[in-house]
Amino acid sequence: MLARIVEALARFMAILGGLVLTGLILMTCLSIAGRWLNGVLNADAFEGVALAEWLLARGVGPITGDFELVEAGMAFVIFAFLPITQLHGAHASVDIFTRALGEKSNRALAAAWAVLFAAVLILIARQLWLGTQDKARYGETTFLIQFPIWWAYAASLVGAVIAAATACYVATVRVVEAFTGQPILPDEGTEH
Amino acid sequence: MTDLAIGLWSFPALLALIFLRVPIGLAMFVTGLVGLWIVTDGPIVALSRLKNETYSTFSSYSLSIIPMFLLMGQFATLGGMSQALFRAAEGFLGHRRGGVAMAAVGACAGFGAICGSSLATAATMGRVALPELRRYGYDGGFSTATLAAGGTLGILIPPSVILVIYAILTEQNIAKLFVAAVVPGLLAALGYVIAISIYVRVNPGSAGTRDPIPGRERLALLVAVWPVLLVFVAVVGGIYGGIFTPTEAAAVGALGTGLIALANGGLNGRTLVQSFTITAKSSAMIFFIVLGAAFYNGFLALTQVPQEMSAWVVEQGYAPLTVLVVILVFYLIFGCLMDSLSMILLTVPIFFPVISALDFGMTAEEVAIWFGILVLIVVEVGLITPPVGMNLFIINAMDRATPMLQTYRAVLYFIGSDIVRVAILVAFPAITLFLL
Repeated sequence: MLARIVEALARFMAILGGLVLTGLILMTCLSIAGRWLNGVLNADAFEGVALAEWLLARGVGPITGDFELVEAGMAFVIFAFLPITQLHGAHASVDIFTRALGEKSNRALAAAWAVLFAAVLILIARQLWLGTQDKARYGETTFLIQFPIWWAYAASLVGAVIAAATACYVATVRVVEAFTGQPILPDEGTEH
Repeated sequence: MTDLAIGLWSFPALLALIFLRVPIGLAMFVTGLVGLWIVTDGPIVALSRLKNETYSTFSSYSLSIIPMFLLMGQFATLGGMSQALFRAAEGFLGHRRGGVAMAAVGACAGFGAICGSSLATAATMGRVALPELRRYGYDGGFSTATLAAGGTLGILIPPSVILVIYAILTEQNIAKLFVAAVVPGLLAALGYVIAISIYVRVNPGSAGTRDPIPGRERLALLVAVWPVLLVFVAVVGGIYGGIFTPTEAAAVGALGTGLIALANGGLNGRTLVQSFTITAKSSAMIFFIVLGAAFYNGFLALTQVPQEMSAWVVEQGYAPLTVLVVILVFYLIFGCLMDSLSMILLTVPIFFPVISALDFGMTAEEVAIWFGILVLIVVEVGLITPPVGMNLFIINAMDRATPMLQTYRAVLYFIGSDIVRVAILVAFPAITLFLL
């Protein structure tokens, strides 16, 4: 039951991140198209053409602060991608030396590192929360579109908290696996 | 203990963690955090840095190219471009001795031009070409080795995720690195074709033959790969011509391949979700390693280790070329154990200052780009070196009937071709630099 909720949540975040990533891609392409069209319409050949001037007056051109939006959005995307990476054990690791150890030792190692990973992700989420408060307190904004940076921090925080919670779940499962010797969760890390 | 000593001791500590199967990003992160704690006498600096560093790493504009390229690779796979490329190359080369294998390498090179990841290239082309190779009577080990080696073209031929990381670490121009990688990438494909023709002569009977197909049919097959060409020209041409930033080019490429996949019916709700989750896992894995490396390298810089090491190497008065060769051999050996991205992140901050401090008779930028391409090649060789080359595993997993040992034996021909290429590029830097 819990397993299904965690899986669903991690997948939901991955899809949400994917949709935001797609949005950023489309926005970037739109901005390029706008920049190109703006250049064409400003060319001498269109001097005095009503449609061209109407379009330019409507503000056809690159999207202002497009790269600021990419930066803010990308932070959210990556944090949203973290839970599923955690849950599926997709972090890269080197297993050539531990292969010589027995299955029991390997399970014990996996449990220990899963606990460490959970601790680190909790620390990251906590510090990001403090960072968010700092940014909100000082009212820091981006340079061009002047949007408050703490919004982007807060959005990232959602992913960071879910990633930390997922990591706690994975750590618990790995500890249980170490004691019972029964595999429960997949571990893809060495395939990458 | 001095800061310098702490910095030096952090290497064995970090390696011990990595070899005990700690995820690489986590190992670098923890070593960096603990090191920073010790060097700055308390947790305050490390913790306050952490308030902003995760966000600023994940929101880096230059790095945002990576998830976009990964998604683009997924769309390219869904768009059926791997099949079109293989059929076209097979139409032209298939009747030659070892021709189907050469076609597989050619198709990998083509796919590499729209995909920035070796593993994705190997996996995608493996699915397409492996059955064909077996159908024409190619040896199991020969087939798997060909595709594993061909897969490395995914990263050697731009766009390339590793080059993006290298560019950020060394503060070089991504566009110039991409351009510099084109000729060495093509040389790699050529070298693999030569390796194949040597293999089929040394091992007659390892490959079947078939009759050539008529020219008109070949032309039709060639026409079918136009979307690949279009995307490549838009992405790499756009970057080269200064029309796009690399991130913009990645966005254009992702949109382009996405539209092609949509038109071919390969992209639907189910495959889109699949693309998202695969992209998610690869992206988050890469970004977490980058984050760990940022922390570790931040700590290392405080201990002055990179500066002291480069000063020490310069003092010894070794010939610059000797130092370069030693570093490349180090990469070749270490590449057998560790994945290429982690290795770049771990070693470039240390080796790059050393290389920059030496006089190769070129400008600083030329040395940086030349070194970047050389490192890119030697770490990629790690993907196909036994025992743990990642591409070997991926391809071998698709063809369970072939024993790993056969793959190991056949892949030596390709590794040989890689080493010859590295030697040529070291001897003639102009091959890498003349397009700039």
